[in-house]
Amino acid sequence: MKTRMWTVLLCVAVLAAGAAFAQKTLTIVRPSDPVALDPHLETTAPGSWVYTQILEPLITVNQDMEIVGRLATSWEFVDPSRLRFTLRQGVTFHDGTPFNADAVKYTWDRAISSDPPGRWRSLASAVVGAEVVDEFTVDIVASQPFGPLELVAAMPYTAIVSPTAVEAVGSDAFTRAPVGTGPFKFVEWRANDRIVLEANDDYWRGRPALDQVIFRTVPEEGARMLSLRTGEADMVLLPTPSDLPALEADPNFIVEGAPGVGIFYLAFNLDRPNVADVRVRQAVAHAIDRELIVEAILEGGGVLAKSVIGEPVFGFKDMELLERYPYDPERARALLVEAGYTQGSDGFMRDAAGNVLTLQALPSNGRSLKDREIAETLQEFLRQAGIAVELDIFEWATTFQLMRGETLDYDLNSFTWFTTTADADYTMYSNYVSTEVPPASWNRWRYANPQVDEWLKAARASLDPAERAELYGLVQDQLAIDLPAIPLYGSFEVAVLSADVTGFVAHPIQYLLDLFPVDKR
Amino acid sequence: MLGGPRPPQPHSLTMFAYLIRRILITIPLALGVVLVVTVSFDLIPGDPAALILGEFATPQAIAELRTSLGLDRSLPVRYVTYVGDILRGDLGVSIRDRRPVTDILAETFPYTIQLALVAILLVLAVGIPLGLLAASRPGSWIDNLIRVTSLAGLSMPVFWTGIVFMVIFSVNLRWFPVSGTGTWRHLVLPAVTLALPSIAVVARMTRSTVLEVLREDFVRTARAKGVAERSLLYKHTLRNALIPVVTVMGLQLGQMLGGAVLTETVFAWPGVGRLTVFAIFNRDFVLMQGLVLVLAMVYVFVNLLVDLSYGVIDPRVRYQ
Repeated sequence: MKTRMWTVLLCVAVLAAGAAFAQKTLTIVRPSDPVALDPHLETTAPGSWVYTQILEPLITVNQDMEIVGRLATSWEFVDPSRLRFTLRQGVTFHDGTPFNADAVKYTWDRAISSDPPGRWRSLASAVVGAEVVDEFTVDIVASQPFGPLELVAAMPYTAIVSPTAVEAVGSDAFTRAPVGTGPFKFVEWRANDRIVLEANDDYWRGRPALDQVIFRTVPEEGARMLSLRTGEADMVLLPTPSDLPALEADPNFIVEGAPGVGIFYLAFNLDRPNVADVRVRQAVAHAIDRELIVEAILEGGGVLAKSVIGEPVFGFKDMELLERYPYDPERARALLVEAGYTQGSDGFMRDAAGNVLTLQALPSNGRSLKDREIAETLQEFLRQAGIAVELDIFEWATTFQLMRGETLDYDLNSFTWFTTTADADYTMYSNYVSTEVPPASWNRWRYANPQVDEWLKAARASLDPAERAELYGLVQDQLAIDLPAIPLYGSFEVAVLSADVTGFVAHPIQYLLDLFPVDKR
Repeated sequence: MLGGPRPPQPHSLTMFAYLIRRILITIPLALGVVLVVTVSFDLIPGDPAALILGEFATPQAIAELRTSLGLDRSLPVRYVTYVGDILRGDLGVSIRDRRPVTDILAETFPYTIQLALVAILLVLAVGIPLGLLAASRPGSWIDNLIRVTSLAGLSMPVFWTGIVFMVIFSVNLRWFPVSGTGTWRHLVLPAVTLALPSIAVVARMTRSTVLEVLREDFVRTARAKGVAERSLLYKHTLRNALIPVVTVMGLQLGQMLGGAVLTETVFAWPGVGRLTVFAIFNRDFVLMQGLVLVLAMVYVFVNLLVDLSYGVIDPRVRYQ
């Protein structure tokens, strides 16, 4: 009797010990390793997926695209160029030092005014820095009235770092072992192999359910999907789109996605004579079956774009492109005839001098989902409307350099633009204001419409969301008429998880990955 | 490979002097290789600073970054500064990662060396015996089987065989993990995938050189003298046949050490091949210079080993 009792007690003790030691580890696989784990040096999503677990900004945008407080409890504009934040009290960094207004000022100064500044500095736009008001009150200050200031402060790049840690190891070393206030702490980074994080027991929202998170670098798409099947990985980022329908039907897996803030578009260079006539651009729009591209080429990896900015972005308005420019190759040819071209016997449209209407295209290659395949498809669509397209497909570094040159010797260019701040200003201003031409900025189509300039400048300066939204609506209506760019598809942020993983909700902003509520059975 | 000892050659050096001479040649080689990399990165389009900043690039930001990275200095200045740094053991700081190149290489090379060594051992253990087997029974079904399968092994692209192995052995049989590093099990599939084409080449090479040697006069003489077939095969012919095979294996090893990028990509093995490709895509010429320099040294070393091995295999060889 006694022996049996002791045996039972022993078993219970062993089980309890086992349970205490059984770690809940979430293993995530994605294609590339970050450059750094600190926005100071890291400008890409693979980096932010990791550092947003470790470092937190004052405010952030949640999956419903609402701004919520993180390290700040409340905020308001005290004047049009100054946003005042009341900071959360009782928060400490992973190294035990206190979070306060000095830490906020340190972070912003380091990013904006140090030498060299943070690599995201140009995104801060009109923001000049942070000013301490008292221990738990800080102002973020712009050089002029700046409506987007709130969403700029919500960018993941503004995450607050521990000044003590940066000073102790130096800025460069800190970027490889960051110290912040977030739900997970940095443990280890084996370059190009894995990054290991562990739970922050003292996190201000409570300890996360997961004990450990491991980010593994697996460049080959097939290998990522196979890792999920064998259980070596619990979560796959950037999965193969064509696998998604089968995985959705499989009860062992969860497919979690949300339409994103990126738009892949075909842009015209309005300085070039071939596309200067709006009727030619309209013809191109009629010649492309955008729905077919999304269905057949993207296989669910993207959504049909309704505007030059993504639907979750503040200021979005449906440009009604399907109504204005339905797929109609005959209408395309009719427009070209109106523009002064004549159809040759070989089907191609010719100008008065007898030259075939030929457009030079510089597509992005391997940078966006199916960009190369889409370029080749567009070539065929345009051929069916009588337009010849010559594609110059280069490796990304070369394409990027050409795109940003002072002159662009191409009629067409394709690219994805992510509105990372989820505010229309981020994309619209640098893309469509007439003075924002390369190499200084991103108006690669050399679009110049003084009325649009006015609307965009007014929208930037206004602090009234309703007014701003109206102005952006007017801009999008005008862009639908002027057609400097044809939006093709919108990004779709999707992850595939094992059914054991609960609590994950995909975020429209591709930089954000919310692992705090995630649990694993 | 003529029968009988050769008369002593004039100007034959001792092993030591030979080594010294080989090592000294590497210095101009190193300088030349670094010069080629520096100049080619200057010639190709693509600015590392603009690539780093990406979407965030404004001319001002690019100019500031270029200055802080030292990219605005002229080519001769950069080259001379770099050579001076190398002599002090400083390979510079990676443009993209802001980390010393020596650290990056120290982290990455061990993985590549592990993979390449295991792969070349497989080639030695499987390729040569297969070739010998085929050569010992020319025209038989074994010979034909080996020839056909080695042709297949040569022709199948690495990224295809890698994924096929992954599906069979990792997903279906669960014998090995899908990808990554950690245990000896993680090494097996990548090493086999990497070794397969080389095994095929070495098997075919061994077969043909052994068959050639078996036709030599001295072999007929030994057979006539009554030497056993087996002793014939191993002692007499193999040593002669091995020299070209060892040469080929040296080249294979060099390739595995520098260019296993497809295997590394498929199996998420963090080696030098992938690192090189990224350095080029990111226009990180500082990292590239360091990589190319170290790889050149590695090739020289491997070639030296191969040359020295000739003396071991065939004592008649003299060094010049």
